[in-house]
Amino acid sequence: MNPITEEMQQIASELLTAQEVKCVLGWEKGTLWYQSAPAFIFSPDEASRLVWDEFCLPNLSSYLLDDRYSQDRVAIFVKGCDSRGIVRLLSDQQLSRQRVYLIGVPCPGMKDPAAALGQKPGDTSDLPVASKCRHCTHRNPVLYDRLLGQPVPEVEPSGERFAHVDEIEKMGIEDRYAFWEKQFARCIRCFACRNVCPACNCTYCCFDLDEPRWLDKEVAPSQNAFYALTRAFHVAGRCVECGECERVCPMGIPIMALNRKIIKDINELFGDYEAGLETSEQPPLGRYNPDDPDNFA
Amino acid sequence: MYVLDKSQLPSFLEAMAAGRTVFVPAEAGGMTRFVPWQAGIQLYWEENPVISPKELFFPQTQVLYGYRTLGQQLEILSRDEGNSPRVIFGLRPCDAAATGIMDDVFLTKGYEDSLYRSRRQNTLLVVLACRRPGPACFCTSFGLDPTRADNADLMLYDLGAEWGLEAVSPAGQDLLAKPAGPVERQAAAPEFAGDFPLEIKVDHLPSGLRPMFRHQVWDIMYQKCLGCGTCTYLCPVCHCFDIQSHNRGVQGYRYRCWDSCMFSDYTLMAGGANPRPTKKERVRNRFLHKLQFMPERYGKFGCVGCGRCVLKCPVNLDITQVANRLAEVVANA
Repeated sequence: MNPITEEMQQIASELLTAQEVKCVLGWEKGTLWYQSAPAFIFSPDEASRLVWDEFCLPNLSSYLLDDRYSQDRVAIFVKGCDSRGIVRLLSDQQLSRQRVYLIGVPCPGMKDPAAALGQKPGDTSDLPVASKCRHCTHRNPVLYDRLLGQPVPEVEPSGERFAHVDEIEKMGIEDRYAFWEKQFARCIRCFACRNVCPACNCTYCCFDLDEPRWLDKEVAPSQNAFYALTRAFHVAGRCVECGECERVCPMGIPIMALNRKIIKDINELFGDYEAGLETSEQPPLGRYNPDDPDNFA
Repeated sequence: MYVLDKSQLPSFLEAMAAGRTVFVPAEAGGMTRFVPWQAGIQLYWEENPVISPKELFFPQTQVLYGYRTLGQQLEILSRDEGNSPRVIFGLRPCDAAATGIMDDVFLTKGYEDSLYRSRRQNTLLVVLACRRPGPACFCTSFGLDPTRADNADLMLYDLGAEWGLEAVSPAGQDLLAKPAGPVERQAAAPEFAGDFPLEIKVDHLPSGLRPMFRHQVWDIMYQKCLGCGTCTYLCPVCHCFDIQSHNRGVQGYRYRCWDSCMFSDYTLMAGGANPRPTKKERVRNRFLHKLQFMPERYGKFGCVGCGRCVLKCPVNLDITQVANRLAEVVANA
């Protein structure tokens, strides 16, 4: 057994036996060999379900919003990106630090489940890195109470983090419009991107409102664009780049290109900034400086 | 059986498309779905298209009627009746079975949905027999045969270098009588090979579920659900809809659109009460609807084992695992 898996199971079992937490959130093997799904462990004898492998893609942090008013303490395993999701919830004051016991897991980068589809279980070394991990800037958790294993070396920024954004920026206005229109034409408005996002943490989402109905329920280019752009701007400066929105999208819409465009613009306008690193953070769009650029040309 | 060299398929489809729209599985706009055939289109035969053919009978958004006011006058604008002749070419037996279930929902029990009927009664089904199970298939759990569909007009067989065609209905026979059509010849339908990766044990369903509405198993089962609509929207059987209006100035239109029982506003009442307030009640409803309420009402499960939700659920809330867990609880009760 993978030593991290073993340690995960042991820690979960100990925490539950000592009744230090009510539940442990981790991953377990799913239906297909390349699926590792969220697991909610409530008793020590269930701890053996927990796994750590190259398919633990889901970011579990947004589950903490399901019981955001609960006093029950929960333990949660966090990769680098997941820990930034936790920081997001803490800085947005949607979670109290005492409520969570964070078990950090340094992450070497996950494998792409889409590339494993239809293949027999076996050697995964040939599988490409998961799309959401390709431009990772924090493989080690940024916040934790306890760390499993040894920190992994961070990857030097390759300059490719904004490659897709650059490519789209180079298009003419009409081509760019056509590009995004085509992408969002296939949106079925399942809201998976919003539901999984730790930055989408409003108690009540304006897109669920019936009266007034800001977002028409019809699936039409204008409504799809309104949804996508509103969400992108709502998480502007707060997106922790976990890439979950794009991973969960059943239609394969490149949502992170939109988020990264905003991140790139913020970096250029307000100086380099990464969200979800410190709980005391003041996001660039959440503070005012007299010297803020106001050039909208 | 009639056979057609695979290189002849475009001309056969072109002949078929004269006077009607022929929908074929293809990659379109970054997604696989059924789209109108046109010359040069690249067909997609590997697996089920991500978007099921239900959208051809029951579009995600469908205008019911338009309206416009002129002073004190109200003008009602007509809607698209959707009654032009169509063929769906190459859907699989699971999606054909799902179409049969949709027929039960929209056309039986005392009410015929005219919008559904006008599309459905003008559509012929050319069903592709599967030769192997896909990575998340379990149609046989519900007694379906992956190599045929009772409601097909024409069965389509992959014979390697050729397509085999077998008429099931008189309308299907007519489709074969095209100038560029296939020729009649002795040929055997291909064997189905391979084991199904997934299975639902239906022995205790649906009767065993009746006493389980308040069972504690639901307290655990729902936890990982994200509450998104992926499963319901990709499902070829899910058929819930909402009716809304789009009003701008003096004009607008009324439309119906897919809705999902996974959404918080699905059962939200005026005044704010919600009989399914959390994910637990919503998840329970979705699975009981498919495994208990549908069989009780229509004598058929609300699932055909196409595997779309298993492949696309972002958190692997898998109906086969849920159903088998429920069966286990029932068996041990």
